Amino acid sequence: MKKILAVTACPTGIAHTYMAAESLEKAAKEKGVPFKVETRGGVGIENELTTQDIQEAHAIIIAAATDVDEGRFQGKTVIKVSLAEAIKDAPTAIDRALQAEASTGYVAQVEQSKQERSAGRSGFYKHLMTGVSNMIPLVVAGGLIIALSFIFGITAFEEEGTLAAALMDIGGGAAFALMVPILAGFIAFSIADKPGLAPGLVGGMLASQNGSGFLGGIIAGFIAGYAAKFIKDQVKLPRSFEGLKPVLIIPLGATLFTGLLMVYVIGEPVAWIMEGLGDWLAGLNTGNAIALGLILGAMMAFDMGGPVNKAAYTFAVGLIGSNIYEPMAAVMAAGMTPPLGLWLATLLSPKKFSTEEREAGKAAGVLGISFITEGAIPFAAADPFRVIPSLMVGSATAGGLAMLFNTALQAPHGGIFVLFIPNAVTNVFLYALAIAIGMTVTAVMIVLLKKGVAAKPEQTIQEKHDIAG
Amino acid sequence: MLLTSLLKENQILLDIETTSKTQCIERLAQHMVDSGDVVDIDQYVRDVLKREEEGSTGIGFAVAIPHGKSAGVQAPSLAYARLSAPIDWQSIDGEPVKHAFLIAVPLEQSGNEHLRILSNLSRKLIHEEFRAQLNQVKNAEELVELLEQ
Repeated sequence: MKKILAVTACPTGIAHTYMAAESLEKAAKEKGVPFKVETRGGVGIENELTTQDIQEAHAIIIAAATDVDEGRFQGKTVIKVSLAEAIKDAPTAIDRALQAEASTGYVAQVEQSKQERSAGRSGFYKHLMTGVSNMIPLVVAGGLIIALSFIFGITAFEEEGTLAAALMDIGGGAAFALMVPILAGFIAFSIADKPGLAPGLVGGMLASQNGSGFLGGIIAGFIAGYAAKFIKDQVKLPRSFEGLKPVLIIPLGATLFTGLLMVYVIGEPVAWIMEGLGDWLAGLNTGNAIALGLILGAMMAFDMGGPVNKAAYTFAVGLIGSNIYEPMAAVMAAGMTPPLGLWLATLLSPKKFSTEEREAGKAAGVLGISFITEGAIPFAAADPFRVIPSLMVGSATAGGLAMLFNTALQAPHGGIFVLFIPNAVTNVFLYALAIAIGMTVTAVMIVLLKKGVAAKPEQTIQEKHDIAG
Repeated sequence: MLLTSLLKENQILLDIETTSKTQCIERLAQHMVDSGDVVDIDQYVRDVLKREEEGSTGIGFAVAIPHGKSAGVQAPSLAYARLSAPIDWQSIDGEPVKHAFLIAVPLEQSGNEHLRILSNLSRKLIHEEFRAQLNQVKNAEELVELLEQ
């Protein structure tokens, strides 16, 4: 039976929220439809819909005159009705929800597992990801604009007044310069809300200036966030001075504390580490470079968008800020490989997959060329012990080859589409080759390991005949 | 009982006559003043009528639930009027109103129990049997009993 969910809310939160909820509940009961309704009224949120509820739902009815946090319903069919309609004519609303096309497509499924993951993030990881996700647009813009300046020649920007120089100013001088401050600022923002932003930005700027790079930025962000949060929650002032806290005490106190720590304590050692890391990466002999590519690649496929994947990804993105582009290439190749490999597997050996899986394979292909590793999750979830090792081997191959071929990538995202932007990828044909080999390895391994669809219809009929005979 | 702390006996008016929605609200509000729950009747009635302008609280089935969260309110309160002659309330189903529950809530929320009682009342109103029983109530005691079920 299709399960229907609803959310009701009104500004005063005394009457309509609950009448609409009751009315919908009554109508659902009369129709025998499994139903749950969340009320957002004066008492607060009651009977809150869980991620699991949303996942199981056929459609969600929203009867609200205020915000109901709709973001969590992404990928689901949402029916909007007015509160009056819900109260007066709930059966119609339920019918509409029952008849609505459920968006249970493959892409919706992937979208959903992404949602679940970000909902499940907490603490350290959540703060870090808030910082990283706000930094990424700057890396994309900066990296690609710098790549565009290379169209005019690799050193064309050195001549002042040219378009190449302007592009370098925009990409390198501005967008890249903002990367680490924004990373640190939004880590702090995630911890302490608005009061964290200013100290975080300043700490990040210092990290960027003293060469401690993204590592220093991450540390600065956490210090600033917890410093601001500490002052916000713990420092008690007389009531009449309370108003000064957000405008004076927190910005001054948290920024000074973070700044002094960055300058006198953290900046230098972390700058050494970053310098050492840069030197080590630059001086890697081929063997070690391939090893790094293998490890990053396997990490990308291990949990497809989970913490391990994001750790590898963050590492590579952070290095872009220090003008090291090779790990990024390995990471993106390895991240594209899993869904692409699955798509190829469904083509190579269609008999081992159900009709739905073959359809899903096409969607996975599209997600793969867009560098959405999560596109492999539904397959991996269905058969983890065969699929995940195959994905890891294929991705490690792609990552290792990308390092071996000495490919470099200026942008942290974009999938196959960045290959067409001039100079965004160095050794672009070898790069495509690394991805192609990686996906082939994944596909072949999956085809070899997979047993095939459990019960084929023809077999069942055959068996019946046997029994009858 | 919690419910009776909201719906005091003097705030239950059975089979009264009023000519308009505003008059009905004012009359119920006056009883809330008498019991001390509403301290500024002008402010409170203004807030309730403002809410009515945003959208009628006539929820259909001859029931209206005018309500206001207002600075004129000291303590959460509930009043009920059953009208001997139904009046127009611009209800969503266009039918005149026979039952009016007036709800008063202070600006600063004063404990969730009261809000919960009011939300339970709202839920009950959706059910036909409950509304039928509302028509049968003979006195204040019976009403309280019905609401407490």
